[in-house]
Amino acid sequence: MRNRQSSAAYRIAFTNFVAFAVGLALLGFVVFTVMHIAFMRQLDSMISDEAQTLVDEYRVGGSRELAEAISEREMVNSPTRMMYAIYAPNGQRVAGSLNSKRPALGVHDIEFVDSAGSHDSARGIAIDISSTERLLVADDLEWIERIDEVVIGVFAIAFLAACGMAFGGALILGGYLRRRLQTISRSAESIIGGEIGTRVPIGNASDEFDQVATTLNRMLDRIEGLLANLRQVSSDLAHDLRTPLARLRNSLERGLTENEDRNHAAAVVEDAIQRVDEVLSLFAAILRIAEVESGETRQLFKPVDLSELARDLVESYAPAIEENGRTLISSIEPQLIVLGDRELLAQAAINLLENAQQHTAVGTLIKLTGTAVGDRIHLEVMDNGPGIPAEDIGRVVKRFARLDRSRSTAGYGLGLSLVDAIAKLHGGDLRLKDLAPGLSATIDLPAGRQPS
Amino acid sequence: MRILIAEDDSDTAEFIQRGLAELGHSLTVVASGSEAWLLLSTEPFDIAILDRMLPALDGVSIVRRLRAAEIHTPVLILTALGRINDRVEGLEAGADDYLVKPFAFSELAARVAALGRRKPIQSQPTRLEHRGIVLDLLKREVLRDGAPIALQPRELRLLEELMNEGGKIVTRTMLLERVWNYHFDPRTNIVETHISHLRSKLNEGGKPDAIETVRGVGYRMSARA
Repeated sequence: MRNRQSSAAYRIAFTNFVAFAVGLALLGFVVFTVMHIAFMRQLDSMISDEAQTLVDEYRVGGSRELAEAISEREMVNSPTRMMYAIYAPNGQRVAGSLNSKRPALGVHDIEFVDSAGSHDSARGIAIDISSTERLLVADDLEWIERIDEVVIGVFAIAFLAACGMAFGGALILGGYLRRRLQTISRSAESIIGGEIGTRVPIGNASDEFDQVATTLNRMLDRIEGLLANLRQVSSDLAHDLRTPLARLRNSLERGLTENEDRNHAAAVVEDAIQRVDEVLSLFAAILRIAEVESGETRQLFKPVDLSELARDLVESYAPAIEENGRTLISSIEPQLIVLGDRELLAQAAINLLENAQQHTAVGTLIKLTGTAVGDRIHLEVMDNGPGIPAEDIGRVVKRFARLDRSRSTAGYGLGLSLVDAIAKLHGGDLRLKDLAPGLSATIDLPAGRQPS
Repeated sequence: MRILIAEDDSDTAEFIQRGLAELGHSLTVVASGSEAWLLLSTEPFDIAILDRMLPALDGVSIVRRLRAAEIHTPVLILTALGRINDRVEGLEAGADDYLVKPFAFSELAARVAALGRRKPIQSQPTRLEHRGIVLDLLKREVLRDGAPIALQPRELRLLEELMNEGGKIVTRTMLLERVWNYHFDPRTNIVETHISHLRSKLNEGGKPDAIETVRGVGYRMSARA
């Protein structure tokens, strides 16, 4: 493949391969060295034993016995045959056929000339068996060298075979990693290409790749949901704008064709201004929700006395609600403190109160309660009106959501969205419950610290 | 009054200029922040109307500079940004009022009139009087033609705001801001409800209407009462 060098998958696989090969070679070297040292030790002990046997011969039978024993040994033709020599103090070899110079005492490597006349090295031990004779027993390193050669040969073959397999494995692993990653990137390409519904195929191994794929798919679902929501909001917005703009257009056109009367013209303009104000208030509501959702107001948060705020609201709203033929009662615990924006919290509570009177019949009882529940504070607006069917409860908080029966009433279905956004901004949420009959809307907020 | 308008959108500038000129004010219009700063720091104006976003120097920076230079010309900031943070920033910089575009001209006119009447803090009256109605701000007492009238705290605050403006219009929005401290428009007209309660208490016993409703704009103390 042309871009194997730039592939992280192959790079990982081949790095692994190189590490494996280096490790294997190191292992071989260590094993070989340890083995070689062990053989050398064995050789040393063999020549020491042999020298000791000859010393024993000498003790029993003197120089003659020793020379005999040596020549007997030299007669035997075996690959493990050792070499012997006895030297006089002047360096003269007096017995044995090992052609070497008189050595120093102890175990060490020696040089000798073999029967073919060529120089070779051997391991030897030199012992003084009497004041005039020095015995040298030596064994050339030929058999150890042969073992070494065999071991190196076997290891080289094994090493090459292992490397070959590892290399093949690296190719397969690299290819596998790349294939798995390419599945994800192909899906992404397809989404970029406009197939928003494409998802990353998930294997049945539930390995890391499948986990990543699952997470990506969840992210894609969320994004798709947001996109759908955005589309819905834009089309709802366009729809909700069209109605007041169409009415505006109609009244302006009527004003143009029936403008004989000055008073009438003024009425038309007044009507037009009112319609434009409707549109502007829709925009204000949308912008307010966006502002709240952005969270930037949080910098201005201060401890707010919700008890005082709620009492204030009741004082302001009870007369207005009374005039609309409904009754507002309240039960508010003292010292309900939250950290927040006083005005936004007031707006949220007002929206709930206004909903409660707008979507209920005359004679409805509305109750505002403020309670502390553990470290949460609940501000609840209850009514005994028609309530919301359980299946619609999740929907009404969405932007522009309006139940069919409230299509005819004023408003854009943004009130509860704003309450929800304000509750979330304060680290809480809005909970709706059908009381059958009636509706309970609770703003659940975390309690703030008490003002000191 | 001599009013400076700093507004870079020529349509809006003309809309404000024509409206205020009709009310008899003398207007100077500039389109950049640096010009506004130059004029305000060298010539006396009664009121400055500054757009929040201006080329060269924005409205809030001008107010900051003015206040730093001990120039206390009342400032009204106009803005297309209705965000809470922006309003707080504007008022903290030393602006006296803050109006979000688009606005009704009557709203601007009422606020300009209120700014023009703004008194220094040390000469704040403790007693307001308007055609037989007396509001004692220290005792929180109201008398009409010498007879005491019992008002709810909220009604008293409304009356105070109306009487403070001495018969000039106070808009519904101004009342919401000043009495309730709400900078949004509730659907329920709580101002109307409370004004109507206040009005019926003031007018008890068939007295002439003390509060006049200016349709679509606001309220003022009645000149006829």
